[in-house]
Amino acid sequence: MKSLDGMKPLLMILPGLALAMFIIGYPIYDLGFTSLQEVSRFGKLLGFVGFDNFREVFSDPLFWASLNRTVIWTVTVVLSTLIISLPIALILNDDFYGRGLARVIIMLPWAVSLTMTAVVWRWALNGRAGLLNATLMNMGLIDEPIEWLAEAQLAFTVEILVGILVSIPFTTTIFLGGLSSLPRDSYEASMVDGATRWDQFRHITLPLMKPFINIAIVLNVIYVFNSLPIIWVMTEGGPANGTDILVTYLYKLAFRFGQLGEAAAISLIMFGFLLLFTIIYVALVMRGERQTDTIEEDE
Amino acid sequence: MAAVTIQNVEKTFGTLKVIHGVNIEVKEHEFVVLVGPSGCGKSTLLRMIAGLETISDGEIVIGEKVVNNVHPRDRDIAMVFQNYALYPHMSIFDNMGFSLKLRKRSKAEIEKKVNEAAGILNLVPFLQREPRQLSGGQRQRVAMGRALVRDAQVFLFDEPLSNLDAKLRVTMRTEIKALHQRLKTTSIYVTHDQIEAMTMADRIVVMNAGRVEQIGAPLELYDHPGNLFVAGFLGSPSMNFIEGHFSRSDGEAVVVTEAGTRLPAPDLADAKEGQAVVFGVRPEHLILGANGVEATVEVVEPTGANIEVFADIGGADICAVFFERHLFEPGEKIGLGWDTGKVHLFDKESGQRI
Amino acid sequence: MSAKLKKSLLYWLMLSPLVVVILFPFGVMFVTAFRPREELFVFPPRWWFSEFRWSNFVEMWEKTNFGQALFNSLYVSIAATALGLLLSIPAAYALSRYRFPGKSAYRTFLLMTQMMSPIVLVLGLFRLMVVLGMVNNLNSLVLTYAAFNMAFTIWMLQSYFSTIPRDLEEAAWIDGATHFKSLIKIFLPLAVPAIAVTSIFSFINGWNEFVLALTMIRSSDDYTLPVQIYSQVAGRYQVEWHHVMAATILATVPVAIVFSWLQKYLIRGMALGAVK
Repeated sequence: MKSLDGMKPLLMILPGLALAMFIIGYPIYDLGFTSLQEVSRFGKLLGFVGFDNFREVFSDPLFWASLNRTVIWTVTVVLSTLIISLPIALILNDDFYGRGLARVIIMLPWAVSLTMTAVVWRWALNGRAGLLNATLMNMGLIDEPIEWLAEAQLAFTVEILVGILVSIPFTTTIFLGGLSSLPRDSYEASMVDGATRWDQFRHITLPLMKPFINIAIVLNVIYVFNSLPIIWVMTEGGPANGTDILVTYLYKLAFRFGQLGEAAAISLIMFGFLLLFTIIYVALVMRGERQTDTIEEDE
Repeated sequence: MAAVTIQNVEKTFGTLKVIHGVNIEVKEHEFVVLVGPSGCGKSTLLRMIAGLETISDGEIVIGEKVVNNVHPRDRDIAMVFQNYALYPHMSIFDNMGFSLKLRKRSKAEIEKKVNEAAGILNLVPFLQREPRQLSGGQRQRVAMGRALVRDAQVFLFDEPLSNLDAKLRVTMRTEIKALHQRLKTTSIYVTHDQIEAMTMADRIVVMNAGRVEQIGAPLELYDHPGNLFVAGFLGSPSMNFIEGHFSRSDGEAVVVTEAGTRLPAPDLADAKEGQAVVFGVRPEHLILGANGVEATVEVVEPTGANIEVFADIGGADICAVFFERHLFEPGEKIGLGWDTGKVHLFDKESGQRI
Repeated sequence: MSAKLKKSLLYWLMLSPLVVVILFPFGVMFVTAFRPREELFVFPPRWWFSEFRWSNFVEMWEKTNFGQALFNSLYVSIAATALGLLLSIPAAYALSRYRFPGKSAYRTFLLMTQMMSPIVLVLGLFRLMVVLGMVNNLNSLVLTYAAFNMAFTIWMLQSYFSTIPRDLEEAAWIDGATHFKSLIKIFLPLAVPAIAVTSIFSFINGWNEFVLALTMIRSSDDYTLPVQIYSQVAGRYQVEWHHVMAATILATVPVAIVFSWLQKYLIRGMALGAVK
């Protein structure tokens, strides 16, 4: 009975674990294997070539351009999102008329899938009949319609702005969770001690929010770095690969150009990066758990 | 009704041993209280009796049957949980009748039993309510009612009163005791509250750090604690302990403290000259008198019924309880005496009673 | 003017740019979906339109094979949710109720797979489905969605399961219930809300997924909604935007309402409770 009791939980987690291991584990193995092979357009493995695929990737100027844009995309979107979300969370955490409505509106972009958001923006930004142009012309800000997505630099900027917009709800939610967990008595004590609102923000809110800011950074980096739909739907990395980031470039290599070896190599590089940030994330979560555990054990 | 025997029972979690070879005999109809500080293993032991924890070593016998590998449902026990564990999605009636329903008793019988138990516990008006609509004390009663309908061999109680406020706790204490006197079901009751243990138990088992320190009737333990732990744990305010050396001079036995104060002590045959001992006397056994040992009053706390005086006696702290209203001033010198027959001596090294 | 009113006006003023930008695409969606086709490309572009063309929706439904895509999306999302829950519920129960060897390693594994995005592995996943002969088969999506979602559902369920006191089940055992009976009579009734909320999120994830559906599904009869709508936009010279926006509204609005309603529960599935 005792040994059976020990087995029961393992039997309960096993089926799910097996599926996850298979569906997630096999592709990783396959990518590792494929990246060291010469591969035909149709996916046939033509033999071991060592690190040739990686060498090819590293000598590919489009890879470097995409990598460069990935860094810009990720850093700009994540940083801007954080900077915008913190004050929004502070406002939404305070009591004011219409707060419920404001919360619903701010969270709306999260409720719509990235693909649909991107489709709508693609139409809204249409150079001829897009309603963004209509709005700006009505307001007298521009005289002629602008072709927002026709030129790479401008298109990429617009995509970054949309990226920020869709990342705000999630980030704000994390911050709101953090703000609601701050101890009220610290604020009351600081008021008695004579702190201004700015003092409170600097010396109580910010330090106590640090774990939430950390987790928001890590999660956003993971999500944004991996995000394909916005750029893919709005410009497909074009014009002339001018808005490609690594995920879109990878997708094109794999499913448009049939460069499977190179695509596998890029996948692995990205996987490594993702793994790194995932480990940071896990470490943050575990640290948070250990802290709550010690509190709970105190009873 | 059945007796419960616990033989050399041990419990380990991984490499951590939390129960070290415990032996307890609970007789039929007896009300036994397991008491000890939190983390002493009393709840784990109770859960092992219930079958909610596996037994790492040793045996537990209920009635005639070794139950080590018997599922809780087949042990014929009833249990009252600390948080009551009422099923939130069932009415009070269904909560109390659940066990009978599982045993496929007839509707009429379930109704009769539940109503009977509800009658005893004053729960009749609440039978159709849900647990969240009841107060803490009422939930506590439902938890008891669930045990009552069962006619189980043994009742187990896991700190059942700890979530109630002080006043209700005293009432429920009396109710549980009255109930036991009426039903005479063998009961094992876990608490960390020594007053509950003293007032309710036929016999008390004092536990500490996974071991049994002493077993006995409440007053027996109070009057003859077997070691320092039991002496300090039972009684409030707790027994005064003063360290010193045993000595016989001029035919009188004394304990000489570090500061040289001589405390009159019983002349025990087993106490050796010069032995390092702990002198123990209960606060209520101290007598005010001019020819006592001199003490300096530090704090006086009147509780209404009595007065607790904290004083310094030869460099050691001592607490005395007086039932007369002596309102001393801090710094005042008083004489404290005692009947040496009521003094306890413990070996300092082993902590055991001499 | 009261202090709170003043504060409210200030806050709304500060939020207004963002509110406008957030509501803008919804406005675009609605005015496009309802306008007559001939008013799509007018110059200069304008918000105003002459009449509500409800028939746009009917036309779109017939011309774009919307019903089929809707059915495909429903099938994939429901099947993936069912499969995922079937595997997640026991695992979450084990996590919340038992100590077992490797438990912390398993939790780490869950956290890591939760962050694993299909896009990085998309080539490997495609090759896997080739090996399994499941390319162009909706079940390939069922399997992958279930697998990638499981970490989230297990985590979310176990965080709820842990709030159901263990002593309720213990009390049931002592009352005479078997393990199985205590699960059915005591645990599951109390876990229903948690399971419902988790299913809805799992469903929405499947409903919204784009990359895998784009990759695995080749024939337009098997498109799920996001791919179907995307296919009407991408690589076409003439895009019927009023149809696209009508389809977007139908595919988005119901799900968005449910999501907004349940959004506050989502955080539990993200292991953020631990940081809190």
